[in-house]
Amino acid sequence: MSVVVEARRPGARSLLTLIRCEAKMVARDTAGLIVPLGLPLLILFSSGFSASDHVVVNGRTALDVFVLPLVLTMVMAVIGIVNMPSFLAYYRRSGILRRLGVTPASPFMVLAAQAIVGILQAAIGIAIAVAVAFLAFGGNPPADTGTALGVVALAMAAMYAVGMIVAAVAPTPNSAVAIGLIAFFILGALGGMFGGRDGLPEPLAEIGGWLPFGATVDALSSAWAGTAVDGVHLLSLAGTVIVGTVVASLLFRWE
Amino acid sequence: MTSVEPAILAENLAKSYGQTRAVVDVSLRVDVGEAVGILGTNGAGKTTAVEMIAGLRVPDRGRVRVLGLDPRRDRARLRQVLGVQLQQAHLHNALRVTELLDLYRSFYPDPRSRDELLDLVDLTAQRRTIFEKLSGGQQQRLSIALALAGHPRVVILDELTTGLDPKARRRMWNTIEQLRSEGVTVLLVSHAMEEVERLCDRVALIDAGRIVALATPAGLVAQAGAATLDDAFVALTGKELEEAE
Repeated sequence: MSVVVEARRPGARSLLTLIRCEAKMVARDTAGLIVPLGLPLLILFSSGFSASDHVVVNGRTALDVFVLPLVLTMVMAVIGIVNMPSFLAYYRRSGILRRLGVTPASPFMVLAAQAIVGILQAAIGIAIAVAVAFLAFGGNPPADTGTALGVVALAMAAMYAVGMIVAAVAPTPNSAVAIGLIAFFILGALGGMFGGRDGLPEPLAEIGGWLPFGATVDALSSAWAGTAVDGVHLLSLAGTVIVGTVVASLLFRWE
Repeated sequence: MTSVEPAILAENLAKSYGQTRAVVDVSLRVDVGEAVGILGTNGAGKTTAVEMIAGLRVPDRGRVRVLGLDPRRDRARLRQVLGVQLQQAHLHNALRVTELLDLYRSFYPDPRSRDELLDLVDLTAQRRTIFEKLSGGQQQRLSIALALAGHPRVVILDELTTGLDPKARRRMWNTIEQLRSEGVTVLLVSHAMEEVERLCDRVALIDAGRIVALATPAGLVAQAGAATLDDAFVALTGKELEEAE
């Protein structure tokens, strides 16, 4: 016969405390903030002046339709695919997850806190990039704001899903950074990060549109231009979320 | 729970890592409110045995119950009443002492207060210090405080005072004695004879993955016909405990 102990999972207060701690960890890791917040701004400044003069469609300039979607996608991709898995791998390698594993905290709670902090980080990165685009280069809001917000939410989930796969397969923090960066650059290259997908061979450009980076850029571009978002891109992002969630739930480990 | 039901029951535990048999056959019963020490040399299987009891490792064979709960199947329930201090303290290194205490306290329905925990492990002066800036001994003490955060009914302490200075060691011993007075069951992995003699009702000597003797400290000395527990350990295991970590 066992003791009478009610199975009480830590609740919202505990999750909020964990989120606060994760946020402090991220904020105190200043080096980790440079790439997701600084690199997109660099791209914005390097292409903003020329792109803001050239109207493409519906009064939206090349800055709105091409540069901003790329910059926002980069913010989400770096945070989801590179930063988050390297944090998780460090937690696992250092034994932090193992230590949490002997408390009532669940793996889901740790992942949820990481995801929420990542979303906050991405929201700040996106807000900074959009503010700079609007204030410094006369950027315009998306023609379809609701669609743009929906695409951002779906894309963030998809980038995290890719990050979860990286975290699941990477044995060490270093390998998590390496695998994350390789995944980021492959997805980015195929998604038009280095000069647009038009310059890629047709099959690679086609594949790039199916992958989360290219799908996000194209979907955001459509939202900014006010044209219909291609269902293929939304399917690609949703599929990535499903695959990443399944892999993470099957392979997540405390050690 | 009846009075005869043990706090910890381990039956015929075995665990191998590849070709290495870390634990061959360990059976142990610890009654409610009892303190039992586990002594053994480096690599004897102590940590693997207690990690199976804590539910951190799945035994290849055997059965574990802690307060009647299966550490794997009843994980959520057991974690609320079991406090574990792991051999090495691994915590969020960029968080302050109070932030870590608040985080771990938040996991439990009825946690000890932050000030009580700071006082228990004498870290009040370091409350604002970032974890990675603490000395090794201070990190160890914080790890112990976190193990006690949820008012556990059973605590597993792996190398409780390793790395602590004599003053901090005595402080920890007083803390464990206070826990025992509250009826908490203690399973203590150690290689400090003085520690287990002072704190434990019974001591299990573990060698090559098996418990080779289990008795009161005085009983082990008598069983070995030795003068001290140190000598008894050598006589019963054929090894010097100084070889331990």
